[in-house]
Amino acid sequence: MKLDSLIPAPLRKPAKPGASNGAAKGPAPADLKTAPAERPSDAQRLGDRAKDAPADVLAWVDQRTAASGFLTGMLYRKVPKGTNWFYTLGSATLIAFVSQAITGVFLAMFYTPSATQAYASIAHINNDVFLGQLVHGMHKWGSSVMVILVFLHMGRTFFFGAYKYPRELNWVIGVVLLILTMTMAFTGYLLPFDQRSFWASVVGININGTGPVVGPYLSDFLRAGPELGATTLSRFYAIHMLLVPGAIIALIGAHMYLVVKLGTTAPPWLKADKPKVAASVSQLDAGVEGNGAAPPNGASAS
Amino acid sequence: MKPADKQAYLEEYELLKKKGKPFFPYAVLKDSAMMLVVVGVIILMSVLLGAEQGPKADPTSTTYVPRPEWYFFFLFELLRVIKPPELVPIATIGIPTICMVLLLLLPFYDRGPERNPIRRPIATTAGCITIAAMAYLSYLGATGGSPTEIDMKVAPQYEAGKEVVAGSGCLACHKLGENGNNGPGPELTHIAQRIPRAAILRSVEIGPGIMPSFRDLPPKKLNELADFLSSLD
Amino acid sequence: MSDDADKQNGAEAAGRPERPIPDPPGYFEGESMTRRRAFTVAVQGIGGIAGAAIVLPAVGFAVAPIFHRGKERWEAVGPVGDFVEDTYRQVIFTETEGIGDAGKTTAYVRKSSKQLDEKPNEIVAVSNRCAHLGCPVRFVEAAGNFICPCHGGVYDFQGKRIGGPPVRPLDHFQARVRDGQVELGPRYSVTSQLEPVRARDPGEFTGGVWEYLYPPRPSTFPPPSG
Repeated sequence: MKLDSLIPAPLRKPAKPGASNGAAKGPAPADLKTAPAERPSDAQRLGDRAKDAPADVLAWVDQRTAASGFLTGMLYRKVPKGTNWFYTLGSATLIAFVSQAITGVFLAMFYTPSATQAYASIAHINNDVFLGQLVHGMHKWGSSVMVILVFLHMGRTFFFGAYKYPRELNWVIGVVLLILTMTMAFTGYLLPFDQRSFWASVVGININGTGPVVGPYLSDFLRAGPELGATTLSRFYAIHMLLVPGAIIALIGAHMYLVVKLGTTAPPWLKADKPKVAASVSQLDAGVEGNGAAPPNGASAS
Repeated sequence: MKPADKQAYLEEYELLKKKGKPFFPYAVLKDSAMMLVVVGVIILMSVLLGAEQGPKADPTSTTYVPRPEWYFFFLFELLRVIKPPELVPIATIGIPTICMVLLLLLPFYDRGPERNPIRRPIATTAGCITIAAMAYLSYLGATGGSPTEIDMKVAPQYEAGKEVVAGSGCLACHKLGENGNNGPGPELTHIAQRIPRAAILRSVEIGPGIMPSFRDLPPKKLNELADFLSSLD
Repeated sequence: MSDDADKQNGAEAAGRPERPIPDPPGYFEGESMTRRRAFTVAVQGIGGIAGAAIVLPAVGFAVAPIFHRGKERWEAVGPVGDFVEDTYRQVIFTETEGIGDAGKTTAYVRKSSKQLDEKPNEIVAVSNRCAHLGCPVRFVEAAGNFICPCHGGVYDFQGKRIGGPPVRPLDHFQARVRDGQVELGPRYSVTSQLEPVRARDPGEFTGGVWEYLYPPRPSTFPPPSG
């Protein structure tokens, strides 16, 4: 419970049922349960130990990390009334990214980022590797799916006004994630090194180059030279494989931390002033206003 | 947003949250179902559509017609419809940068307390217009043909002329049925209604205004071209 | 702006009004503020140096190619007799070494033409890279024009823009004749008057004030003189 103070306030709030006390939720700490009163048979004892093992392991980890407080806070936090299917677009985008990450790692095992060999290595993946075409296809179409989902998720946030106070920062992070996703789509497009990807990259790099003053240098930086050359492909590969995914993972972490901390929004057409709760609230409001002071408790949620 | 509005929102939100259900397992169930659908769609697309390779990259090509991936079609079309060279940097860098900055800073200039899309007419309309514009540009980009091909049925005796028109780059400046670009040249779809064959031939040879002269075409090709164009009524 | 409410809340949460001295966070008894300041500066300095020691070489590594100019290379593309004044011949040669076919490019080559008031007995080599955004242009024999399949750029026989969005004429390659063979060398761009300038990427204007807005890059070769 000492470590509880490290956990952000809204997460600390223990869920009502069952989980009244985060750290003590699991079975008692392992070192306390060594001496049973009677001596059961060896087999029985072994069986009991085996049955307890998962719980014991969890307790052992929890004692050292105090993670259960955070986890129960996160899992059993209340999601506002009216949450509907529109609110699944975020996790849909997340799973699309996870799918891209996993298939990407396996494609990287067979792919050669060299202008002379890239095309052949993709052909090898498609034709010779077991399930190669499937994994390659999942990565290829997964990118389209992810772009669509990012846009749908953003559209939902926009139309529901979910970017407003107190979630402005999360919107900004989300837009940066959108830009990074498009960067992934652009850098990944060159890698198969067929006609389509080659010319799309040529045009894309030249679009960068039309920015005044810095544009020409930016193009040289992207290509690692004045023309698409020997190191252009490895440069795109490094950006696609390491730089941008790292940034995306970090920002997804921040994005989700803020979602948990601030809570997901309720649908904007929903109003709280319904049955009896509403009555008491309006009384409370009236009372507070009568006193002429802002109620500090209201903000305890954030 | 005024402090009172913020306060009101937080209180309102707290009440809605109190009436809600815990994230696990209620919201998570929806999330997981959606995740399963997404993974299913990805695998299905992969199985059905595969991952075929195009021909190997060839920078020496003079016949390849580059097209971007579908989610860049709107940008592609933007580059195509913005014709004057002076505006090219605006199309390539200017408009996308401005859009991104506007998007990024959205919460800082739209600070009203209202969240319901029906009661935010400006924001909702702007959002809808943006989506419609992007969809329309994407559609144009997806269906727009190359200025070196004409997709159109003509009588066999005009096929040769059609090829001359396609191969001479006329569609870069003229619209011809569903093909080509609208402007700067006039539409050619019904050109024979407006000017006779002799006038067509003269325009092609002289190149009136900004139009280049095609005097160097061999006479046979010029005649085929004129035959084809004067058949369009 | 936004945040009067935040300030109020913050003030109420953090500083109980009765507390007399606003201690810095983490204050302990006997702490000297100058010592704390010195330590703060030291932390920032040491951390900054360590960070810079990692980041600067990496950044230098990544941007170095911007300032690197490769070796000038010339390649023979055929005997002088192959090329004529009134039309182009398409040749393929290697522009970037070490990447096989991907380093090759197409040039349209002809002899300079008296009719067009060009200097006599020179070789004109026009790049097939569109000056709009770099798509491959095609020379249409029938019309004597170059056309681009992407966004509909049209160039005349000399490579000057006559329609569509391209921002300048088509690029050229330096050309010379050695032992009866035409050799092509580095790429250069031209202004709308066909004066040679350093090679620019597609989409960048040349000439006049544009030479400053799209500065020449150190990775390109100087244009041929005169």
